[in-house]
Amino acid sequence: MEFLLELRAEELPASHIRSAREQLEAGFRKELADVRIDVRSLKTLATPRRLVVAGDFAEGQEDREELVTGPPLAVAKGPDGALTAAGKGFARSHGIDEGLLEAVRTPRGEYLGFKRKAKGTSTADILAAAVPRVLGALTFPKMMRWGESPFRFSRPIHGLLCVFGGAPVATSFEGLKATDETVGHRIASPGPIKAGELATYQAGLEKAAVIIDPAARKQMILAQIAAALAPLKAKAYPDPELLDDLSLNVEHPLVILGAFPEAYLSLPLEVLSTAMREGQHLFSVVRDKKQLPHFLGVADAVGDAKGLIRRGNERVLKARLEDARFFWDRDRRVPLGERAAGLKDVLFQEKLGSYEDKTQRLKKIVGYLCDKLGAAEIKSDAVEAAGLCKVDLLTEMVKEFSGLQGRMGGLYAREEGLATVVQEAIYEHYQPGSLEDASPATKAGAILSLADKMDSIVGAIGAGLQVSGSSDPFGLRRNAHGVCKVALDRKLRFSFPLLLDRVLAIYGDRLTLGRAETKAACLDFFAGRLRFILEKKGYRYDLINAALGPGVDQIVDVLARVEALDGLKSSPQFEPFILMAKRINNILKDLPPAKVNPDVFVEKEERDLYSTLSIIGSNALPMIARGDFARAQGIMFKLQPVLNTFFDKVLVMAEDKRTRQNRLGLLQSIAKMLLSIADYSQIVVEGEKSAKPKTAR
Amino acid sequence: MSVQDLILGLHRYWAGQGCYLAQTYDVEVGAGTMTPDTFFRVLDKRNWRVGYVQPSRRPDDGRYGENPNRVQKHFQYQVIMKPSPAGIQDIYVQSLRSLGIALEDHDLRFDEDNWESPTIGAWGVGWQVLLDGLEITQFTYFQQCGGIDLSPVPVEITYGLERLEMFLEQKDDIYDLDWSADVSYRDLRLREEKEFSAYNFTAASVTMLRQAFNACHKEAGRLVAKDLLLPAYDMCLKCSHNFNLLDSRGAISVTERIKMISLIRALVNEIARRYTGGKEGV
Repeated sequence: MEFLLELRAEELPASHIRSAREQLEAGFRKELADVRIDVRSLKTLATPRRLVVAGDFAEGQEDREELVTGPPLAVAKGPDGALTAAGKGFARSHGIDEGLLEAVRTPRGEYLGFKRKAKGTSTADILAAAVPRVLGALTFPKMMRWGESPFRFSRPIHGLLCVFGGAPVATSFEGLKATDETVGHRIASPGPIKAGELATYQAGLEKAAVIIDPAARKQMILAQIAAALAPLKAKAYPDPELLDDLSLNVEHPLVILGAFPEAYLSLPLEVLSTAMREGQHLFSVVRDKKQLPHFLGVADAVGDAKGLIRRGNERVLKARLEDARFFWDRDRRVPLGERAAGLKDVLFQEKLGSYEDKTQRLKKIVGYLCDKLGAAEIKSDAVEAAGLCKVDLLTEMVKEFSGLQGRMGGLYAREEGLATVVQEAIYEHYQPGSLEDASPATKAGAILSLADKMDSIVGAIGAGLQVSGSSDPFGLRRNAHGVCKVALDRKLRFSFPLLLDRVLAIYGDRLTLGRAETKAACLDFFAGRLRFILEKKGYRYDLINAALGPGVDQIVDVLARVEALDGLKSSPQFEPFILMAKRINNILKDLPPAKVNPDVFVEKEERDLYSTLSIIGSNALPMIARGDFARAQGIMFKLQPVLNTFFDKVLVMAEDKRTRQNRLGLLQSIAKMLLSIADYSQIVVEGEKSAKPKTAR
Repeated sequence: MSVQDLILGLHRYWAGQGCYLAQTYDVEVGAGTMTPDTFFRVLDKRNWRVGYVQPSRRPDDGRYGENPNRVQKHFQYQVIMKPSPAGIQDIYVQSLRSLGIALEDHDLRFDEDNWESPTIGAWGVGWQVLLDGLEITQFTYFQQCGGIDLSPVPVEITYGLERLEMFLEQKDDIYDLDWSADVSYRDLRLREEKEFSAYNFTAASVTMLRQAFNACHKEAGRLVAKDLLLPAYDMCLKCSHNFNLLDSRGAISVTERIKMISLIRALVNEIARRYTGGKEGV
């Protein structure tokens, strides 16, 4: 039977709509599953003014057979098998025929009982109770109150349509009684619409200039863009995020193609597209990668017969471009180097000082990274870029369009004729903005990006700014993801703990927390972020735990370790090897370190193991050092037969203390070598109880 | 339609919605929100409806009269309705129709935009209203003011009068607007913009402004202690304006900025707390 729900609200932000759709779907699925209502289909739809759930559910619960138990059989029946007074009383109290009684076996013993049919509850009744619960459980990143009620929601709500099987459900939410009526587009067709099912609802709304399906609106936008641009043989510059937001921001999309004076094409592309996108939500128009003096906007309207919407948007854009050109011309009058003096007046963070302070730190971190990464040839350019990379925060352009930070500095550096390495490093140093964003393409850009992010993270953690739950005011997670992504994408090999030491030393006594405490917190934080990144890449949680077990030294090694484990996990040697490693760990548990002395060996098998270990070690260690864990792991497998024989023939816990200590020492050196690849004890193998996965936030 | 007609139209419309028409407040403010007709009246439980024109001074936006869109003083039409009526969006949309805007020919959008003013400890949730891409109104459900949770919740509707007028007259330059049939915006305002830009950016005495800030701050504290809350609040407004001038003079350092804003906010929060009888905000 068909279910349709529409909650009408004042314009909801796109991010809230996305989250509400997920919550609604999960909420209704759970409510219905909990009471065993069959859900044949369930989907959500939305516009900025409506959250919609449409589904096909069973009419009610299945009738069920229910078992009612009475007194124990020994009490209910006499030795002759006839009912006792207690047995008769049970039948009487339930008003059933004694003939229906039967013996029921339970874990506690045999009882007298009977089966009866229980009538299922109707879905309409279930929905009446579930609807206010699901709607009331919706949460949003920022909630508000209105009028005189303490109720909080994303934006004020105005109406509730809720029908099941064509009839309104007897329910209400926050004073809104469910009906089978809705309204059309605010401006184009605001009248009431009656709708008892999805088909009439959708058709009625469409007539009233509301396209209820966001995917359909997106298709309309794409089709209209294609049609508008066909005569120009041009394309809209792809911006999936903007397209997504716009399809959630309108009830009836209307693509507007507008133009701006060609004179503004002298502005850099970055500036043009930002001026269009920010505030006005416009797409740029390009042909053969060249910007055309046109833009595309998406209006919430049926048509623009008089061209007023187009002309209005053109006028607004022209004013913005005029501003941008003014900034571009004025900013270029002062070279970055000269402007840099102003950085002392811009706060980076209250406890961490100004951007001048940050710049000085960046220069040192960049120098250190260049040394460590063997990038001597770009060191002086990279350090110069570090000195200038934050200067664009002082330009009018970045004050107006903050999204251009970094890129603007790079463009101004280019205009000044600074070295290409310097320009590019400045341009790229905020990249990657997210795990989906590209890492810097140049080495100097990558180094500056790492330095900038490490400075922010170490500083913020050292200043005691904690990340918790959804609160991450300093963007520490994004920055840490950036560090990991740059290291992984560009395969940069540097010791992460040593880099932390260096950054901490550069901060000196500016930080609130002690160095050791800050370092430990940073390592912990990064381990969590790496776990998150690897989980996103789809690796098994226990393999991730194993790869993180040796600690984070080289960031690239953490990925290499988990890749090696993942690649070998289905090899027949893997499982016995893991069990062997665990056996060693169990033997060594809580024992103090012991030394191996080859002269103390008694048995042939322990000598064999010792020499195998030496050979394997000398082969594997260079591989481990360069991060080739797959091959190192392959060699480790060769320990297995020798270890098997060892355990068969040699008693580790020998009576003689010296012999025993020596054997434990031998096992400890094996454990140590294994731990340089992974912490195998974390890996779950068949037949073991699965450990609870540790999930990163 | 001239600016003057626009003001008359809004006055008539909002008076029809039960708003009392207040007169412009006579202390410099950065936004209509800061005047006592909004600040104090949103704090208590009583119903309140008001509409008024308020000049908004933002010294840093001065452009010596050379920018067609930016001025260091512009005019806002401020409406407060408490509690926010259920149909307030429709009431607002109707106000645009009452000005003769045929919305069927345009694109009217409520675009997510949450507002906050750290100086007076206020924030709210709402939208900027865009008409064919032009921001004409800030539409906010006030949640907190002076650090106090507001209940009932007021709605604040702030029209940018010049923006709206540029739309109505279809003009690209603010100075080309007609204030009345005979007086242009240029006649009224150009000289003021030039001279005040020079004052805001170069001529204002930093020493005098600092002294004034400190004197007003001290006076506000003294007045709060005597429970003279309205005069104390005026002093806070003067602090805020002096701060803005110091800022446009480039005289405020990094750490100072935060300190000065928090000095004002602490006083404003205390005034709000005392005004509502000691009820603490969250």
